Amino acid sequence: MTEDEHREGIKGMVNPGRYGIERVAYLLMRLSGLGLLGYFIAHIYETSNILRGRMGWDEFLALTQTTEGHIFLALVIGMCVFHTGNGIRIMLGHGGVGVGKPARPDYPYEPASQNYRHKIGIYSSILLAAVAMMYGLAVMFGE
Amino acid sequence: MKESTIMKIHYGTALAAVGLVAVHILMRLTTGFADSLEYENVLANYRSIPYVVMLELILILLSVHGFNGLRVILLELKQGRVYEKAVSYGCVVAMIGLIGYGSRTIIMTNIGMV
Repeated sequence: MTEDEHREGIKGMVNPGRYGIERVAYLLMRLSGLGLLGYFIAHIYETSNILRGRMGWDEFLALTQTTEGHIFLALVIGMCVFHTGNGIRIMLGHGGVGVGKPARPDYPYEPASQNYRHKIGIYSSILLAAVAMMYGLAVMFGE
Repeated sequence: MKESTIMKIHYGTALAAVGLVAVHILMRLTTGFADSLEYENVLANYRSIPYVVMLELILILLSVHGFNGLRVILLELKQGRVYEKAVSYGCVVAMIGLIGYGSRTIIMTNIGMV
């Protein structure tokens, strides 16, 4: 990475186009993490409405039981599944699983850790997230 | 605390949370998604001691994991002694606040203060 790229700050961090699917996974991991933390805080607040009794609970629940609410929840499901799948891939990678054996760096200097196993892991996480979102939508709109 | 220890906690909380959240979601599907969110059903969930213990564990695990993740993202963006301390302590305070607020709901509902 050049010095100019270091200076890009948040723009460099969110640019998914320069380093392949690994950078896309890096970006999606952070976006889904922030999204899930936001949802988690909102969920804690949402469930605290049970302390307002039946009326308070039903009132707040009605806000979430809409088409927009269901689509939002489907996005949360997608973020959750991707974050889990990709997180397990990262944990395995940090533990040395699937990163290849150390070897002499020869031209064209392809990093051994960015191999097909990890690429399959990233694409599988995206695919699983899409399937889970569709299942979630079927459950929520099916009732 | 060493960063390597923090990362082990980060991964440990993630793995534990995945299992417990899966049970939490499956509970929503046992009686149908909409029915499980009915007031009586939710209240019955909160009155069940094993379920309440699980909710409290999920609350703690996800708060620790979530706010440590936020800390890592913020430390990737900018570095500096004061900034890093502010981010770390800010995340710990926010984490304790969220656990406290969530625990209040769990405890008050469980002991019947609704």
